[in-house]
Amino acid sequence: DKPKLTSCRSPEKETFTCWWQPGHDGGLPTTYALYYLKDNSDTIYECPDYHTAGENSCFFNKNDTSVWVNYNITVVATNALGSNFSDPEDVDVAYIVQPHTPENVTVNVMEDKGWPFLRVSWESPHKADIRSGWITLIYELRVKLEGEEEWEEHHAGQQKMFNIFSIRSGSTYLVQVRCKPDHGFWSEWSSTTYVKVPEYFFRERSLWILVMIFSSFTLIILLWIVHMNSHSLKHCLLPPVPGPKIKGFDQQIFKNGRSDEILSALMVPNFPPTKSSNYEDLLVEYLEVYVSEEQELILEESKDSCLKSDSSTCDSDSGRGSCDSHTLLTDKCGEAKRERRASGEDSGMTIESQKGWEEEALSYTQEDVATPDVSSRRVKTWPSVFSTVPQYTTSPLDQKTSLELSKQHCLSDTLFPPGSSTKEVLGPNYWEFDLSNKQSHLPQPQTHGSQQLQAHSDVNISYTGNKQVPALLQLPGFKSTEYVEVQKVNQEDMVILQPVESDNCGRDEECPHVLQGEDYSKVKGVGSDNLLLLQSGVKARMGDEMEANGVSESCYTSSSFATTQKHIDSMHSATIPGQEEPIRATTGYVDTTTMFTLPMY
Amino acid sequence: MRKMQKVKSPFIAWFAVIALMYLKYSVMADAAPICSYGQATCHVPSLADLFDRVIQQSSRMHGISTDLHSEFDHYLPSKNFIGKQRCHTYAILTPDDKEKAQRLGREQLTEVILRLLMAWGDPLSQLHWSMSQDQNQDFNQYRSNKALEISDIVRELKDGVIKVAERMKRLGLNGNFVSYISPENVDPFSAISFYKRGELNSVDHQDLLYCFRRDSHKVKTYLRILKCSTFPTLDC
Repeated sequence: DKPKLTSCRSPEKETFTCWWQPGHDGGLPTTYALYYLKDNSDTIYECPDYHTAGENSCFFNKNDTSVWVNYNITVVATNALGSNFSDPEDVDVAYIVQPHTPENVTVNVMEDKGWPFLRVSWESPHKADIRSGWITLIYELRVKLEGEEEWEEHHAGQQKMFNIFSIRSGSTYLVQVRCKPDHGFWSEWSSTTYVKVPEYFFRERSLWILVMIFSSFTLIILLWIVHMNSHSLKHCLLPPVPGPKIKGFDQQIFKNGRSDEILSALMVPNFPPTKSSNYEDLLVEYLEVYVSEEQELILEESKDSCLKSDSSTCDSDSGRGSCDSHTLLTDKCGEAKRERRASGEDSGMTIESQKGWEEEALSYTQEDVATPDVSSRRVKTWPSVFSTVPQYTTSPLDQKTSLELSKQHCLSDTLFPPGSSTKEVLGPNYWEFDLSNKQSHLPQPQTHGSQQLQAHSDVNISYTGNKQVPALLQLPGFKSTEYVEVQKVNQEDMVILQPVESDNCGRDEECPHVLQGEDYSKVKGVGSDNLLLLQSGVKARMGDEMEANGVSESCYTSSSFATTQKHIDSMHSATIPGQEEPIRATTGYVDTTTMFTLPMY
Repeated sequence: MRKMQKVKSPFIAWFAVIALMYLKYSVMADAAPICSYGQATCHVPSLADLFDRVIQQSSRMHGISTDLHSEFDHYLPSKNFIGKQRCHTYAILTPDDKEKAQRLGREQLTEVILRLLMAWGDPLSQLHWSMSQDQNQDFNQYRSNKALEISDIVRELKDGVIKVAERMKRLGLNGNFVSYISPENVDPFSAISFYKRGELNSVDHQDLLYCFRRDSHKVKTYLRILKCSTFPTLDC
């Protein structure tokens, strides 16, 4: 077989080597020879060097190498059988250049603004003369992660340095470089260069720090917002459980902060009697006190009288108020209130109980003498109160009725001149709150006070019904035109006042006496010395000195409510017990200056 | 109508004036040469730039010649040129060794380059013409285009090398350079008659391209040597 020239290569375009492949030699020793012709000349040359390049090769050194010359090469195999010629091949050194691999491939990990990158640098194969420009090489490199199969190739052109970005921290990379003349064959890949990229947390860390700071700020702001709105949030998320409400229980009492009110509020849980049936019970027990409208005396309910917790046994059967309660006056107050209520009912009081009370008031017949305890108080005549009551029985009262009933006792809060009333806690049933209410309500519109008045009456009424009512409650209900007639002063220093009812005059033997004159003395209050303060009759007594205030005079007529009346101020106090003072009985007046021995009619 | 024309004519005149002004300014903008190095005088590229341009062109020339030659290699076996010269430029003595080339010196090297380039001007146009005449239209169209392109490049390259040589001479690098080439090799007919008298066939094309490919490679190499000897920069 003939040999075959396999390839010829020149590494730097200055020398070249040809290899041939020997054919089947049949086992016989064969010699090979290479002959060549240069550039169409006739001279045959033989290979100068068979050994440098290895077996079956021919090495052409610099002297024998001519570039841009066509070599016609033939390999001859010779053995015992004969010789065999290979096919001639044309070789031009300029086109068979295959350089060696690039040398000194170095890879460094460098940092660009916190991000790492690989910088690969190499050198041209030492034999290739690039410096003179004889050969121009272009380079190519490839990179891959350790453990992967795919290479990432990069074309580097004629430069001897290359940057690889977007590498992963903490991993190992493999780098290889090869080169090629602008027209020639690629060299072999250089030996692998390993590079380990250290862990780069710089950039990532800063990012994490930024993220954490931002999130912490957000968290703080959110917490602050939640804290600020915690109250509303609580309401939103955990709606307050509606607490038990007592019907007719006014929370305002607690807010006002007056202990007496609170106590009274607490004490009468059942208070507003919502059924008229209760009233019937009360009916029996109350005295009817008729107070004429004309005489609108402002009866100040003494606290003592009104709040007296003493239970008075009232004999409701008798026309006379046999209730010897020292809180007669307060009872009167209560009745007065009731009367008011009764009268007010027509005006549309919404509370049914009022009716009952009215009846009760009517039934109230007797009044007790004001007790000395009441001395400090002035007794106000209710009628004035009553008369004006209906006006004030407005719807707002409805809401408060129960509350006021429970907490307000003898009313006349508004009637009291400011500061005149003193609060005295007489007992558990003492409804301090009345006065306090009075005072507190003074600046309030009149209506409020009137409401209170009414409430008082109501309270009083119901109270008596329960028989727990202090004498206070057992006040005879007063009609608007009811008058209280001082009957006598009993031994107990109680002024027995008889309600004079025009209609019921028959009941009282002394009724006609009472009705004689227009002028009636109104019980203003009880002086400190157990004096019953009476106010002389209105009309004729305008200028009377007994009339302390002209204002108060005018107060009689309904407008007495006006509140800041000082009805009683300068009333003369009449000592009740035992003193006998001249009383003008002619006109039916009871001179306040005189003691009451009571005009006994 | 006449009135309209009368009215129009001044407008047209103004329009023409404006258009000319615009064109002038635009052309002025385009006329300014682009200087990649940001030099003050952009009109005159530096010698290094000239060299780069020339080398680029020679590289491109060689690439096309290689492509064209490779196409022929597939179809036709090469002739056996034993006993005679294959290429018409055999008379031009060219260094076939690196040392020889370096020993030549700049001026002679430049001269060799120019000789080669000038020798191939006409044959390439002949080649192009011959290729376009071939019957196999599809196959030859691509080749004839390439041949045309090559002939253009050779012409430009020649001019560029002349400029480089003149610049070098001005700079004192090319003292003895003679831009005038003796006319002995400039015979248009003799050049192509070397390959064949009369019309060239495809076989002749192959020979011609073979020779041209070699000579283009020579030019490219010589130019690089010239550049690297003049400007020993990083590229060398």
